[in-house]
Amino acid sequence: MTLPINETRRALIVFCAALLAGFAVSRIGFAGLSPAGRITLGIFTTASLLWIFEPVPLFVTSFVIVILEVVFLGRSGGPLGLSPSGYMIFIEPFFSSVIVLLLGGFVMAAAVKRYGIDLWFAGRLLSRVGTNPASVLLGMMSMAAFFSMWISNTATTALMLAVAIPIIRTMPADEPFRRALVLGIPFAANVGGIGTPIGSPPNAIAIGFLDQAGIHLSFFSWMLRGLPIAALLTLVAWAVLLRLFRPRTKYVRVDLTDPDPDQRHALDGRSRFILVMFLVVVALWLTTEIHGVPAAVVSLVPLVAFFGFGLLDHDDFRDLGWNILFIVGGGMSLGVAMQESGLSAWIVGLIRFEALGTLGVLFVFAASTAAMTTFISNSATANLLLPIVIGIGAVAPAAGALVVAITSSAAMILPVSTPPNAIAYGSREIDLRDMVRSGSIITAAAVVLVTLFIRLLF
Amino acid sequence: MHSEEKQRPESARLEHCPHCGSVETKNFVYFRRGEKIRVYNECARCGRFVSRYTLAGYTSDKTYESLLARVREWRLASGKRTLGIVEAFGDDVQQEYEHVLDLVSRQEDPRKIEEIISEDFSAPRE
Repeated sequence: MTLPINETRRALIVFCAALLAGFAVSRIGFAGLSPAGRITLGIFTTASLLWIFEPVPLFVTSFVIVILEVVFLGRSGGPLGLSPSGYMIFIEPFFSSVIVLLLGGFVMAAAVKRYGIDLWFAGRLLSRVGTNPASVLLGMMSMAAFFSMWISNTATTALMLAVAIPIIRTMPADEPFRRALVLGIPFAANVGGIGTPIGSPPNAIAIGFLDQAGIHLSFFSWMLRGLPIAALLTLVAWAVLLRLFRPRTKYVRVDLTDPDPDQRHALDGRSRFILVMFLVVVALWLTTEIHGVPAAVVSLVPLVAFFGFGLLDHDDFRDLGWNILFIVGGGMSLGVAMQESGLSAWIVGLIRFEALGTLGVLFVFAASTAAMTTFISNSATANLLLPIVIGIGAVAPAAGALVVAITSSAAMILPVSTPPNAIAYGSREIDLRDMVRSGSIITAAAVVLVTLFIRLLF
Repeated sequence: MHSEEKQRPESARLEHCPHCGSVETKNFVYFRRGEKIRVYNECARCGRFVSRYTLAGYTSDKTYESLLARVREWRLASGKRTLGIVEAFGDDVQQEYEHVLDLVSRQEDPRKIEEIISEDFSAPRE
């Protein structure tokens, strides 16, 4: 999408201002910070401003980071004292194991969408949600949460809203349950993504940062921690929405008026193959500790199978969500610079986290993450906070990383907080007050519950 | 529309039947699971084949529902940019539709559709 000329001009001004601000910060002689650390602080400042104000798409910022890192830190004889090929440490994160893991997830999601398996599954589940408003809402939210564990949160929201809109339109205009349904879908899609490493980019970013710190979190280990909190937050969101938008109707008509459901929505041979492959890959992901093949390598299996046998084509490959992969890669590259230059350690040393205790530190990071991600992208939030939280001695690195990653998917106060919120807001079925009122309660509950849950685990 | 934006080359044309020149055509939408939707365009007057389009996107008069279908294909990272797309979507479609009608009525592009699609703006204009 191209921008009108005045927006391009504004973007250029903000972009240059972010570069200048980064340059200015890098010239300040902070005590205890090495020259490389100062340069990295400048890059961190530029990246933060670009990710907050978005004069350029989020993934472009990732490339800006790499250019600045290589030019100012990565040259042979530069402040980090790297060898001529040493700059590769800033580029390698773009094809790290976590990027390949996400890529495999994106390929499976593309196949599921292209062959209508998500629609088929939604149709089958929808016929089982009943007619009671509370059970319809719970059913729709559970479906959204489940789908977003495997396909993108935005695709899930679009799919489920497309299913929900005809149901909503059978209700009177002043029926509060309409708003509960429209809000419940994006909220469930946001928190459902917490359930798997591929469900939401912050999860993969957290796993990547932990990998860099020498801590391996397997697919199964993530699900063991992510799935219960995703289920709990879905239930909390459901209860809050039912309370705030108490249904007047006693009966919701979930009518799947399909002239020939068995024929049109039946799975053909190709769809069945994709479904079987999907189940096999998930099983392999969950059992990496048994068979020993890394999850990233398992992720290449659907890529070979679907593109190799013509189930997906060049157009699908082009549309795989490279922007997300580059956002993740850029964040991890920034993390490398922060680690290598000593900036992470310097920032951590500025605050006496030990005085807060484990619970206090986890709560501070959960609250800070929720506050930041209310206004900026959850991936950008994770990219900025994870290199800091992992370096804190007061909490286990995995605990800090999980709190930041999970909370960054659980903030849902404004339409700009997450793409699913924005899509639901665009339906014009809800107003800003509806979203702020319900989203604030759920976000606050998430901050407390995630903090307590992670504290219990570590 | 911004004045500088208007300077970018643009044109619009009604599709004509290459055989009888009629502008009345019928669309046949072909769906086959796992493949991109294709639209076969037939002349409503002489009944002969005019063209085939492969759909990359589709917007009906129900713009929000059309947007939902398109969003399923996208991977969006930014809530801010998504909101911008969502809020502008319906209005953009209507505004551009009116602009295209105006362009055709004022100065219809004489080039063949394939020349326009290949963005051959250097092609001579009658």
